[in-house]
Amino acid sequence: MLAPILLVLMVFFVTLPLWVRSVPVQYNARSLLVRKVTTLVTALGIALVVFVFAGSLMLREGINRVLTAAGRADTVVILRKGSDAELSSAIGNEYIGLFRGPAQVSQAGGVIGEIVIVVTADRADGFGASNVLVRGMPPDGFAFRPELKLASGRMPRPGTNEAIVGRGISGRFKGIAPGQSFELRRNRPLQIVGEFTADGSSYESEVWGDLDVIRRSLGREAVVSSVRVRLNRPEDFDAYRQTIENDKRFSMKVMREADYYQKQSQALSTFLGGMGLAAAILFSLAAMIGAAITMNGAVAHRTREIGTLRALGFSRRSILLSFLTEATVLSLAGGVIGVIAVQLLSLVKVPIINFQTFSEIVLRFQVAPGVLAWSLWFSGLMGLLGGLFPAIRASRVSPVEAMRA
Amino acid sequence: MSENQMTEATKTAGAPGEPYRGTTTGTESIVTLSKITKTFFRGSEPIRVLEGLDLDVPNGSFEALMGPSGSGKSTLLNIIAGLDRPTSGAVRVAGADLGPMSDSELARWRSQTIGFVFQSFNLIPVLTAAQNVELPLLLTSLSRADRARHVATAMRIVSLEDRMHHYPRQLSGGQEQRVAIARAIVNDPKIIVADEPTGDLDRKSADDVLTLMERLNKELKKTIFMVTHDPAAAERAGVVRKLDKGALQ
Repeated sequence: MLAPILLVLMVFFVTLPLWVRSVPVQYNARSLLVRKVTTLVTALGIALVVFVFAGSLMLREGINRVLTAAGRADTVVILRKGSDAELSSAIGNEYIGLFRGPAQVSQAGGVIGEIVIVVTADRADGFGASNVLVRGMPPDGFAFRPELKLASGRMPRPGTNEAIVGRGISGRFKGIAPGQSFELRRNRPLQIVGEFTADGSSYESEVWGDLDVIRRSLGREAVVSSVRVRLNRPEDFDAYRQTIENDKRFSMKVMREADYYQKQSQALSTFLGGMGLAAAILFSLAAMIGAAITMNGAVAHRTREIGTLRALGFSRRSILLSFLTEATVLSLAGGVIGVIAVQLLSLVKVPIINFQTFSEIVLRFQVAPGVLAWSLWFSGLMGLLGGLFPAIRASRVSPVEAMRA
Repeated sequence: MSENQMTEATKTAGAPGEPYRGTTTGTESIVTLSKITKTFFRGSEPIRVLEGLDLDVPNGSFEALMGPSGSGKSTLLNIIAGLDRPTSGAVRVAGADLGPMSDSELARWRSQTIGFVFQSFNLIPVLTAAQNVELPLLLTSLSRADRARHVATAMRIVSLEDRMHHYPRQLSGGQEQRVAIARAIVNDPKIIVADEPTGDLDRKSADDVLTLMERLNKELKKTIFMVTHDPAAAERAGVVRKLDKGALQ
């Protein structure tokens, strides 16, 4: 809804000089430079708002990146019907082989069953405890995910209590770092022997160990949480889903892996994005008021100049456009400062609880061209709205009254 | 303002400061005011500034309007210039009836017909002299190169071609007023209205400005209508009119 409005506004402004004889832009630019302090304070206020706005968009990008990067189009996730997440799903071992049957399944290591649990661990910095997601996978589970790269240490040996940890949470919890160990249950330790990366996805916030060892530790040898199936082609999904979901021997839900993670990211993304957006909107009201005060001051200070321009023949529309341009330029300058400053956030890691798994995932603020473009649009819009009333006021200045001022 | 006009002006200009009586020999009126009244309101109390005023200003004349403060001089000037509207009466300037014009039509008309010279110069402080002079030309369809030529010509006429890129704060009062005059003539207006053009100047600068206005009237045939308190300035005009209590004497 907002995009078409912004597009119309952009076309309006780009074409305005064609039908309105405008006051030279140098007039506005130099008028801003003459009032250095006021201009700077207003621009910094807008920069702060754009920083918050862009930060919230970058966080949303970060969530989408982390949670959806883990999903592949040619892979499906099978959960027990009624479950929304791996954590709440349980599938008997006897079904795993049945999922391999349909012709759409890739025969090269195409099916893995995994168990997913959450353990509570103390934070390494001593500030309380949080949940960590532990994934137990069969020996071919590592090969199933080619994005996995060992960053340090070595791969765990099958059938042992060795595990590897994602780089996102490595070292953030006591015992969860290469060379350390933590307990799944009392006297059931997992020994971390390596650290891995997975294209920045949410896997980097997990601990991966041996399926059977982890199940045995929990006394759940007969079930897995989910089954992942690699299809021959992404287009095979519908046929495969129909086959599995219509099979009367079991009651399963089949999702594309990408959709599964998309759905997982939605709640978190909406929540955090909404919080950020709400903060940005509140801040933007203050910034718009700031811009309006600045531009009102400018109008009051330059009444005689406006009167002169009107006397020389510049129309009300020209004056309106001139002051709107000035407010927009001022705001865009603040926007550019904000967009530059917000780049620093990409260096920050943010631990957040995933609502679906109740475990901690580590996000990064993600820079994207769309985020920057939206942020600049937002700053321009603030300038337009904040400058609108002062510009209308300027356009209504009577040249006769202005000369007496 | 064409190059030819500028050359002609340069050739025939008198020496600066030389007395000049102006011209009063226009054959037709460029300004015709009929039964003009103007009433302002202070709260609910009406204040009648102009009372059924008639005025004919011949084309090509240089006229001065004098009168005590509050006599309605500036109001009359503003009505002639299309900046203000009378409460009643008809205003015809340079062949146009200003009464029915909308605000935007009046603005366009002003940009093509009127050159303004103000007491306080009213230059835009953040623009250079050349940019100030160029302002009226931005309302025309002239190319950038043509605008630059016109600006250079106007600045030569006011003998400030070496101050083109100076800002107003870098100029003396007299120079600022000459830049304002260059701005007033750059789009070749039919009539120049001047509101106390020497009011903020010392005697020497005022003489220079008045001499320049005489040249514009005599050599470029510009009609000049000047409001002034200064008898010495009025003396340079061809016709001096006196306004008192809203009526011409």
